[in-house]
Amino acid sequence: MADALTRSMRASHVLAAVLVVASLGFAAFGAASGDTFYLRLGTEALIFAGLALSVDILLGYTGLLSLGQALYFGLGAYLSALVLMVTPSFWAAMGATAIGAVVVGTIGGFIANRVRGVYFALITFGMAQVIAKVVYNTRALGASDGLIGVPVIDINLGLFKISSASPVGFFLVVLTFIIILYALAAYLLDTPFGRLLIALRANERRVPFLGYRTVTARLAAYVIAAVIAALSGALYPMLRGFVSPELLFFATSGNAVITVVTGGVGTLVGALYGSILLTLFKSVVGSYTEHHLIVIGLLFMGAVIFLPRGLMGIVRPVIERRLNRGAKS
Amino acid sequence: MSASVLEVRDLSVHFGGLRAVDNVSFAIARHRITTVIGPNGAGKSTLFNLISGAVRPRAGQVLIDGVDHTGEPPHRLQAAGLARSFQITNLFFELSVAENLRLAAQILEPMAMAWRPVAASRTALARVDELLERFGLTDKAPYPVGKLSHGEQRRLEVAVALACKPKVLLLDEPTQGMSHGDTEDTAKLIKSLSSDVTILLIEHDIGLVMSLSDHVIVMHQGQKLAEGTPAEVRGNPAVQTAYFGHA
Amino acid sequence: MMTAAIEYFQFVLAPQILIGLVLGVAVILVALGLTIIFGLLDVINMSHGEFYALGAFIALALASVGLPFWLLLLLVPLIMLPVGYIVERGLIQRVFHSGERHVTTLLLTFGLGLVMEDAFRLVFGPNPQKPPVPIAGAIDVFGVFLPLYRLFLILGGAAVVALVALVVYRTRLGAMVRAAAFDRHMAASLGVPVQHVYAGAFAFGVALAGLAGVMLAPIYSVFPTMGRDFILMAFTVVIVGGMGSIAGVVVAGLLLTQVQAISSLYISPVWSDPIVFGIMVIMLMVRPQGLFGRLGHG
Repeated sequence: MADALTRSMRASHVLAAVLVVASLGFAAFGAASGDTFYLRLGTEALIFAGLALSVDILLGYTGLLSLGQALYFGLGAYLSALVLMVTPSFWAAMGATAIGAVVVGTIGGFIANRVRGVYFALITFGMAQVIAKVVYNTRALGASDGLIGVPVIDINLGLFKISSASPVGFFLVVLTFIIILYALAAYLLDTPFGRLLIALRANERRVPFLGYRTVTARLAAYVIAAVIAALSGALYPMLRGFVSPELLFFATSGNAVITVVTGGVGTLVGALYGSILLTLFKSVVGSYTEHHLIVIGLLFMGAVIFLPRGLMGIVRPVIERRLNRGAKS
Repeated sequence: MSASVLEVRDLSVHFGGLRAVDNVSFAIARHRITTVIGPNGAGKSTLFNLISGAVRPRAGQVLIDGVDHTGEPPHRLQAAGLARSFQITNLFFELSVAENLRLAAQILEPMAMAWRPVAASRTALARVDELLERFGLTDKAPYPVGKLSHGEQRRLEVAVALACKPKVLLLDEPTQGMSHGDTEDTAKLIKSLSSDVTILLIEHDIGLVMSLSDHVIVMHQGQKLAEGTPAEVRGNPAVQTAYFGHA
Repeated sequence: MMTAAIEYFQFVLAPQILIGLVLGVAVILVALGLTIIFGLLDVINMSHGEFYALGAFIALALASVGLPFWLLLLLVPLIMLPVGYIVERGLIQRVFHSGERHVTTLLLTFGLGLVMEDAFRLVFGPNPQKPPVPIAGAIDVFGVFLPLYRLFLILGGAAVVALVALVVYRTRLGAMVRAAAFDRHMAASLGVPVQHVYAGAFAFGVALAGLAGVMLAPIYSVFPTMGRDFILMAFTVVIVGGMGSIAGVVVAGLLLTQVQAISSLYISPVWSDPIVFGIMVIMLMVRPQGLFGRLGHG
């Protein structure tokens, strides 16, 4: 019999499946109507969902608030752009990004994990700000303009190839990729290692007496989150054809936190829904006024005060109860 | 194999000018229940913190099975076979009773299992069932710890400490705040545990100490005042003035 | 040789030190409220930079109807006090008692900052506005050119710090605040109205941010995102100085801005941020409590 944590993760899977079906419908509709704009917007929402996923692993499961996850998202975007400008290979870009994220994430994690609580939040914030400033002023990385002219690539998926310029094709590639990241994260969190992270969040002080070195576990969580953020970021230049230092700015990190908190902390699937809803919301409100931040900020504050588990805090328990009833009868 | 599974030599720690634990030495024999008693502020909990690695001793040694483990962090001491419970319940309150035990038992699994789903951790799950049964918590398994009664939480605290199959189990006031009936049950439980683990206990209930312990250590103002069988300690005049005299 | 050294000092080093000093005072003024709010409420006020901007915008609005700068120095903090009080009681108190107080209050103030920043853009427009410098002219300090207003800022900043320290350490009000910071339950049982002290301390910190906004507006100009420019430095100063320590803010504020100012003489200014940040990281590694301890804690 599955335990409570496994069962709530299953409820997340149901919601993720719903999201996949809806996305496929969206893609089919987009392809049929010859749309480009909304497919690209949807693709971007999914890419930022990957970033939010990494924030949720840290905040929702390990209990670490990162205010600088844009550092790894931007790292992935820049690495991927640089690789693609040399050799237009999807897998080379992804491989380089993964390796880069492990290296930088280990260094960053070593620094950030010296401290905890608010200090962790501030140090991750500071690291990202400093790197953003350095990139912004580094000519070799295009300084404030970023890197432009990332070529369109053909993504080799073994049996067939998909062009990054194809709105529907690339949307499906990104959807698949983000769902794989989600599934990997969900798998990990259901292992003894993942449960150790959950234990850290619940009561860090008891964990050493269970025989674990907490620093190591937190570092591992940090590096995994860094890799997920970076791999998501690596998809960005393929979509837009450029990267800019804004990707590293606090607004990007802050957006990911808003996404997770409104979507549902500690549910994984909340990051995906949050990102899509927020993107949708921005484009709807944005068509009326350029001051969508006021509305988003107010919604976010409302979620912090009234819905500590976000949107999924309402939806997921309903699914969970249904699953339980199904299991019993 | 050394005769004493846990030995402490000249252990000391100071907080500011206060000698919280001052030159304490003792050895405890395998599969026995040894109890530390003493008035409040005698240094009992600090002694536990020193042995379990929560606080680094300033001087002295902690030996487990004759091997020096002085100053090691808690996770190393755990690997050496030492586990502890806490005076103030220190569990994962939002998580279920079963998950608390599973977390504590997952270290029994081989390293490779850390990357397989928890449902595949047979050894750990079997251990959870065994402990639930033994501690009478089977009915409570799916509930979050926060929903349990105080007595149940205290029992779980002991069960979680025991889950990793330690050689030495330090129990810091396991019956703290329990009703009389619960205390008696817990005492029986602890007695039954001593067949496969060596227990070092802090306890206030003198009646319980006398009936439960094989060996008693009396602490007073950070120092070891006396030790011996319950009868010997009870008969010791120094103990009577320092401790029982006030009782 | 000797004259070369003097000239180097007069024309290169000294102006840089002065620039650093002005920046240092500015950072201290912003960080002061931040450290008081953290020291007492244990709250990281992510909207602090926006309260700083709010002070500057209020000053700008009041100046446009003809109020003199010197009156604004007093008036703006007084206007900010009730604003801060209401924010604390109406928002922060709502999540203050949840299990993860640090995270929830940080998130809430972050959201508040977003709203405020966009509201400034809506009301005042996105472009920078520069109020006139209240004191014209400049003096010669050991042969170094120093605008009079900057001299005023240095002296005025020192006066504000002294006043704040006086209030916190020498008045009955300050004693209550420190008692509540040290142990809220104990303080409550001694008859300290802890709820009001908390809201009051938040209001005080926010009013200080507003005062910083008034004082710095003539130098750094006023725009919706102006808070962002100082906030990382202010956080760094608060961490290095020791969260909640007033002395820590002063020492770390002067030290770090001098490091930044002088290092930018020799290396690209781009690297001065990483250097300052590096100091913070090293500090967190060797002495996590900062240079000085916490408010109310020894």
